Amino acid sequence: MSEPTSTVAVKGAAVIGAASSVSSSKSSSQHRPVYCYQCVAGPDLLKVEVRDGVATRIESNYDISAQHPGGGRVCVKAYGLIQKTYNPNRVHQPMRRTNPRKGRNEDPGFVPISWDEALDLVGEKLRGIRAKGLTDEHGYPRLAMSTGGGGTPVQYMGTFPAFMAAWGALDQGYGAGQGVKCYHSEHLYGELWHRAFIVSPDTPYVTYIINCGNNVEASGGVAGIWREADARSRGCKRIQVEPHLSITGAVSAEWVPIRPKTDAAFLFGLIHHILHERDWANVCDVPFLRDRSNSPYLVGPNGWFLREFESGKPLVWDEADERAKPYDAADLVRPVLVFANAGEHKAIERRVSGFERGADDERHDHQDIAPRTSFELLREHMAPYTPDWAAEQCDVPASVIRRIADEYLAHACVGQTIDIEGHTLPYRPVAVMLGKTVNNGWGGYHCCWARTMLALLVGALEVPGGTLGTTVKLVRPAFSRTGSVQPGEDGFMAFQFNETSREGWQRDPHIRNAYRTLVPLVSDSPWSPALGPAHLPWLFQKKTPDDWPRVTPPDVWICYRTNPAISSWNAPQVAERLAEFPFIVAFAYTDDETNHFADVLLPESTDLESMQLIRIGSTKFTEQYWRHEGWAIRQPVIDPLHDTMDLTDVASELAERAGILDGYIAAINKGAAGMALRDRKGRFDYSLHPHARPARDAIWDAICKAASDDLTAGEAVHDLDWFREHGFQLRPFPQIDWYLHPAMQAKGLRYELPYQERLTRHGHQLAHRLREIGVTWWDKQLKEYEPLPTWEPFPDIWIDYAREYGRDPAEFAFWALTARSMQYSWGANVGLPLINELANNISGHRGVVINRTAAKRLGITEGDELLIESVSGQTRGQAVLREGIRPDTVLMIGQFDHWKTPYARDLDLPSLNSLTDLSLSLTDGTGSGADLMRVKISRSARPVK
Amino acid sequence: MMNEPNGNYIPRWGMAIDLNRCVGCQTCTAACKHANDTPPEVQWRRVIDVEQGTFPDVERLFMVVGCQHCEEPPCVPVCPTGATRQRADGLVTMDYDQCIGCAYCAVSCPYQARTIMHEERGYFGSKRTEQELATAHPERRGVAQKCTFCIDRVDAGLAQGLVPGVDPAASPACAAACIASAIHFGDYNDPQSNVSRLTAAGENFQMHEELGTHPQIRYLYTHPAVPGRAAKPADEDDARQSDLANPLVGPLQRFWDWRAAMNWCFGGAGSGLAVMAWLAAWIGILPPARLPAVMALAGLLMAIGLFCVFLKIGRQLRFWRAVLRPQTSWMTRELYAVLVFYPAVFASVGCPEPGVAGVACSVAALAALAFLGCQAMILYKARGIPAWRIRRVVLLIGLSGLAEGAGVLLLLLALDPVHLASSPAVLLEPLYGLLILIVLRAIVWRDYVVHARTEGVGPLAHQVLRRLGWLMQPAAQVVSLLIAAPAFLLPSAVAAPFAAATGLIALAVGFGWKYQVIVKAGYQQGFALPRLPQRGSGHNAAPARMSAPARAS
Repeated sequence: MSEPTSTVAVKGAAVIGAASSVSSSKSSSQHRPVYCYQCVAGPDLLKVEVRDGVATRIESNYDISAQHPGGGRVCVKAYGLIQKTYNPNRVHQPMRRTNPRKGRNEDPGFVPISWDEALDLVGEKLRGIRAKGLTDEHGYPRLAMSTGGGGTPVQYMGTFPAFMAAWGALDQGYGAGQGVKCYHSEHLYGELWHRAFIVSPDTPYVTYIINCGNNVEASGGVAGIWREADARSRGCKRIQVEPHLSITGAVSAEWVPIRPKTDAAFLFGLIHHILHERDWANVCDVPFLRDRSNSPYLVGPNGWFLREFESGKPLVWDEADERAKPYDAADLVRPVLVFANAGEHKAIERRVSGFERGADDERHDHQDIAPRTSFELLREHMAPYTPDWAAEQCDVPASVIRRIADEYLAHACVGQTIDIEGHTLPYRPVAVMLGKTVNNGWGGYHCCWARTMLALLVGALEVPGGTLGTTVKLVRPAFSRTGSVQPGEDGFMAFQFNETSREGWQRDPHIRNAYRTLVPLVSDSPWSPALGPAHLPWLFQKKTPDDWPRVTPPDVWICYRTNPAISSWNAPQVAERLAEFPFIVAFAYTDDETNHFADVLLPESTDLESMQLIRIGSTKFTEQYWRHEGWAIRQPVIDPLHDTMDLTDVASELAERAGILDGYIAAINKGAAGMALRDRKGRFDYSLHPHARPARDAIWDAICKAASDDLTAGEAVHDLDWFREHGFQLRPFPQIDWYLHPAMQAKGLRYELPYQERLTRHGHQLAHRLREIGVTWWDKQLKEYEPLPTWEPFPDIWIDYAREYGRDPAEFAFWALTARSMQYSWGANVGLPLINELANNISGHRGVVINRTAAKRLGITEGDELLIESVSGQTRGQAVLREGIRPDTVLMIGQFDHWKTPYARDLDLPSLNSLTDLSLSLTDGTGSGADLMRVKISRSARPVK
Repeated sequence: MMNEPNGNYIPRWGMAIDLNRCVGCQTCTAACKHANDTPPEVQWRRVIDVEQGTFPDVERLFMVVGCQHCEEPPCVPVCPTGATRQRADGLVTMDYDQCIGCAYCAVSCPYQARTIMHEERGYFGSKRTEQELATAHPERRGVAQKCTFCIDRVDAGLAQGLVPGVDPAASPACAAACIASAIHFGDYNDPQSNVSRLTAAGENFQMHEELGTHPQIRYLYTHPAVPGRAAKPADEDDARQSDLANPLVGPLQRFWDWRAAMNWCFGGAGSGLAVMAWLAAWIGILPPARLPAVMALAGLLMAIGLFCVFLKIGRQLRFWRAVLRPQTSWMTRELYAVLVFYPAVFASVGCPEPGVAGVACSVAALAALAFLGCQAMILYKARGIPAWRIRRVVLLIGLSGLAEGAGVLLLLLALDPVHLASSPAVLLEPLYGLLILIVLRAIVWRDYVVHARTEGVGPLAHQVLRRLGWLMQPAAQVVSLLIAAPAFLLPSAVAAPFAAATGLIALAVGFGWKYQVIVKAGYQQGFALPRLPQRGSGHNAAPARMSAPARAS
C-alpha cells in the first residue's frame, strides 16, 4: 500500500519539489519517482513501489497533483511498466544474427554475444562509414535511424541524441507510420498559421467543441481526459463528428455519424452557413478579421496580393480615408473587408495601383484597378458549399449542419473579454478539433484550413476559450511558442519554408524522403525529416521513379522503440524492404517484427531501469497546458534484470568506438541531451570534460545541476541524488503564454488566413522546379497548393484506387478505419497480458467492429472469423457487432497482425496496416496519407487461433 | 450524522460515480489490480462498455462496476462462516482465512462483484514473475475475493489523520487514480462530504434498488449540456438481453456446477425419502421396523450430495467452519440439520429398542425436513441469480424433494417381494401420494415459469426454463399417469414395475429440473441503467443549446 506523501517547498518560494515517500509499515518498501512518456500525451509522473529490490506497484505521483494539468494522475498504460520490466520474453543479452538470409520466414539464428562484441561490431560498421564518407554515391546518408513513437523515444534515449548530433549526415526520414498515423496536415499548417504543431481547445474555458474525429479521450492522455471531463462538468457541449461512435463520441453530447473522409464538406457547410445564411457582419468578429488576419488584403486579378509599388507590402483599403495603403500603414484606421455585400447594389468605389508578385519572376503591374479583398474571395469561394450540398457529400442532414453552425455562433461570445493574469483578452469559448485521418491525407489541408477559419471568423484563434496550439516543432525557439511569434513576410509570423526558388531549391534530396525537395511547408528543423513524406523511402526503394536519385538502403540502419514492420501503412511491404537492408542495429526489448531482420540486437535497460531528466510543463502536446514548468526524472528503480545497458552508456560507448567522442561530449555540453551545461550568459558551467568518456550518472548529475540552476536562476541548484529522491522541480509558467494573441497584438502581426498566397507561390515554384527536371509523378500533389482550398470528392480517391489494381471498386464496399487504443498505443504494450486484459473491457479490442445490421445482411454473427481484404492486402479478425458504427464502415482498433512479438502474435487481432497501401496516389501534397482503406468483408475460411 | 451508542461518529463510506465523466479508460481497473495484487482476469474494479439503441439512434457509455458495499448486503447473511461481514462504517469485508470457498456469497451478489480463483497463476503462465511472486496472496486461493473499497488504505489513512476521499493515500486506489475524476469516494453520513454534495446536487440512481440492497455506489447521470433520460423499452428488449456480448447481460454463473447441483438432487431426494418414509410408517404403509433401513438409505443419498458439494468448495479442509453462522446462513442451518439427522439415523439403526428407534427416526425425519427446507432457502437467498431467488423456488424445492422421496420409496416398495406379497393394493397409497406431489410440483413449476419474467428472470434463463417445460408440463405428467395407470389397475405384484417406473420418473424429473435450473439457468443478475445521460446520435442526442453557459471563473 502506498503511504502518504508530503510536499515540501525548497529554497525559493515559487519553486516546487516533492519528497519521495517511504513506507513506515514496510521498512524495506520505497516509492521511487519516475515519469511515463510512452505516448505523446505525456508525461505523467508516478511512483514505483520497490520492495526488497523488486518493483511491485505503480501509483500516481500525487505530490504533483496541484501543478499537473491531469491532477497528478498517471495513465493506464503506466501500470503496465512493471510487467514490461519483468516480461519473461525480454531479450536478455546482446545477440548477433547468424543467418545471412533475411526474410519473414527465415530464422535469424540469433546467438548471444557480449556487450563488448556487440558494440565492437557496430563500432566497426560505423567507423567503416566514416572512412567511406557519410553519404553514398546518390547523396543519401549511409547511416539511418528511425525512432517512431511520435517523438516520444527521445524521452528514453538518454544522451543518444548527442551521438546523432555528433555523427553528421544521418537519414531520419524512414517512416514508421507517420503520415497516416499522425496529425500530419495539422502539424504543418497548424504550425504555419498559429504555431500549432498540435491543436487543442482551451479546455478550461471552452463551452462548445466541434470534434471531427478527434478522439481525445483515447489519445489525449491524462491531462486531456481530466480537462475535458472538467469542461463537461462545467457545461461544455461537444459534438462528435465521426463514422463510428468512439470513446470520445461516447462521452460527447452528440454523435454525428459522418461518411468517412467528407469532413471538409461538413466544415465547408458550416462556414457557408455563417458567411451566407447568417448576417456575417453581425455574428463574426469583424475587428479580429480586420486586424488579425489577411481578410482585408487586396488581391489582384491574377490571384496574388496587390502590393504597394514602393514597399512591396500587400495593400488594404482604408474605409476612413478611402484609399489603399500597406497593411501596416501608421495611418490605417479601418480596413475594408468587403466592398459590396450581397443585396447591396453599389459597391465601394476604389481605384488601386500596385503589383502582384507571383511565382519566380512573375510580376503583374496594375494601375487603377478595382481589386477584391481576400475576405470577399473567401465568401465567393464558399458560396457553393451550402449545407444542402454538404449533406449530399457527408451524409449529415443539412438541418444538423445549420443547427451546429448556429450553436457554434451562439457560444462564440463575440465581443466578450476575459481577464487572464491581469491581461484583458477576447473570450471566445468555441473550438473545432480534427482527428487522425481527418487532418491528414487528401482533404487534410481543407479540413485544417476550414477548422482554423471557423476559429478565425469568430476571433476564437489563440484567445481564451478558443482554438490553441500546443507546441512548436518546426519553428524556433523550440521551447517557446510565444517566443516564436516573430515578424515575417507580409505582416505574418515568420516561417522558414523550404526553398523553392531556382537558386535555393534542393534539387537532389539530401535524405531519402526528400522533404526539403518536395514539401516546402515542412521546413527544416530537426523534426522535419520525420514529418516529410516518410513512406517514400520504402516506396522508392522498391522502385525509384525516373529522373530521381535511386533510393538505396542505408549501409547501417538503427531502430529504436519503433516497429515499422507493424506500424507503417502497408506494413507487410515495409517488412519486405527491411529484409533488403544490409545491416540493422535494433535496440531490442523483445523479439519483434522489425528486429527479426536485424543483424545485432542491443537490449536496452527499459523504462524503470534507466536514467533521464526531461523538461516538463509549459505547453506541450495535446492538452499538456501547465501553469508550471520544470524538470522531472526517470531513474532505475531496480537493478537491471538482464545484461542490458542504459541508452546513455550505449551512446557513450558507440561515440568512442565510432571515433566521435569529442563531438559527442561537445553536443551534450551544448544541450543535445535536453539542457545546455554551460549558460550562454556565463552564469553557470557544469560542462563535462571535453575528451574523457563520461559515466552515465556524471552526465545526468551535470544536467540536473544545469537544469535546476537555469530553472531557479541559481536559487535552488540540485544534483542527481536530489532529483532521484524528489522526482521533479517546478517554477510557475504564465498562463498568458498559452495564447499567442498578446504577442500577435504587441507585434502587430496577422494570422496568415484565409488567403494562402505564400503557400500557393511555393507550390507554383515547386511545380516549375519539378517540371524543369522532368518529374511528373508529383503533379497531383502540386494541385493542392491553392489560395483557398477547393472541395474534391475525396472519398472517390480511395474508392477509385481499386482501378489501379485492375479491380472493380464495387468489390470493396466498406470503409475500413482504425482508432486509437489508449491502453495499447505505443510503449511496446502489445506483449503485455495485463494491457490485453484491461483493453478487452473496451469493446472492439477483440476484433473487427461492424454494424450489426450490415453484419446481419452478410450473415455474420458475433465472434465469426472474418477475412478483410483490400486491393493490396488482407487481415483477419473476429466480428464484433455494434450499433455505434455506420453500416458502410468497419473498424479495427490499434495496430496488430503481429507474427513475431511474443504474446501479441497469439492474439490474432486484425490490423488496418495490413490493408493500407504505400502509394503516391494516396499521398497528398504535404506527403501524408490517410489511415483508411476500402475493403471487402467475408467470413474467413481459416479459423482464428 | 450517525453515531454509535457511545457517541462515536460512524461514517458510511460510499462512492458517487459520474457517468458523464467516465471515459472507460480502465485506469481504475489497473490501479486496483496494482493496489490489491489481483491475479489475471480478476478485476475487483472494472468499467463496462455499454451500448444502447440502434443505429442511427445510439448511445454508448461506460459504467464502473464492482462491490457496491450495500447497506443490506445479500452476501453477508448467507456466508456460513462469517468470513464476509459488514463493519459499522458499511464496508463489507472478507476474511480469507475463514472463508471456505463455498461461493454462496458469489451467487448471492446481484452485482457480479465476487470471484474465486482456484489456482495461483501468473500473467505469463504457471511460472510467475518476480513481481508476481513478491505480491502473491496464497491466502486468497480458493476463497471469495472482491473489492474492499481499499479498506487498508482507508484505515491507515484515518489513523494518520487523513481524510478518505480527499487524500489520495486514504482513498480507494480506483478513486485516487481515476484520471477523469469520475469516481468519488467519501462519507455519506457527512452531509458536507464530496459524495453527499455530489449526490445532493445531481440526479443519481442506485443500481438494483428494487432488490432492497441499498448499494453505496450512486451513479450520477446528468451534466449541464447533457440531461438525463429514462431507459427505453428498446434498450431492454429480449434481443439485447439475450446478447451475451452486451455487458449489461449477466453471464452464466460458474460458481456452482454439477457438483453443487448434485447436493440439491441427492440431498433433496434423500431428505424427501426420509420424510416420506417416516410418513409412510406413520400411516402404516411401511412397517416401522424397516424405517431405520430406509432412513439409512436416505442418509446415504444425502451423503452423496454432501460429498459432491464438498468436492466443489475451494478450501475443503476448512469445511467445518460452515457451522459458524447459524444466526443468518441457511447453509449453516443445513449443516446443523445434517448434524442432527445422522446421529438420529445412526441411533435408529443401531438401537435394538423399537421405541427408541422410532423416536430417533422421528427426529431424523424432522431433521430431514429441516434439511429440505434449508436447501430451498439456500437457493432462494442467492440474490445474485434471478432464476433462483423467486419465492416459488422454495415451494418447488420442497415439493420436488418430497416427490423424489416418494418416488424412491415407491421404488423400494415395488422392488420388495415381501412387501408386495402383503396385500394386492399395497402400492396404491404411496402411488396416490406420489401422484399428488407430482401434480402439485407441476402446478408450481408452471406458475414459476409463467411468472419468471415478471420476477426478473432474463430471457436467456427463461429460455432454459421453457425448454424444461417438456419435463414438467402437464403433458409430461399425463405420461407419468399413463405409466402409473396399470399400477392402479393391476395386482401389486404385476403392477410393481409400473409403480417402480413411476417412482423413477418422479426422481429423474426432480434431478433434471434442479440440474438445469442450477447449472444451466443460473444466469447472474446483469447490470442495469434505469436512468442514463441523454446523449448519443439521432433521437438520443442532447438537446440543442443556443446560448452559452455561465463563464468559467
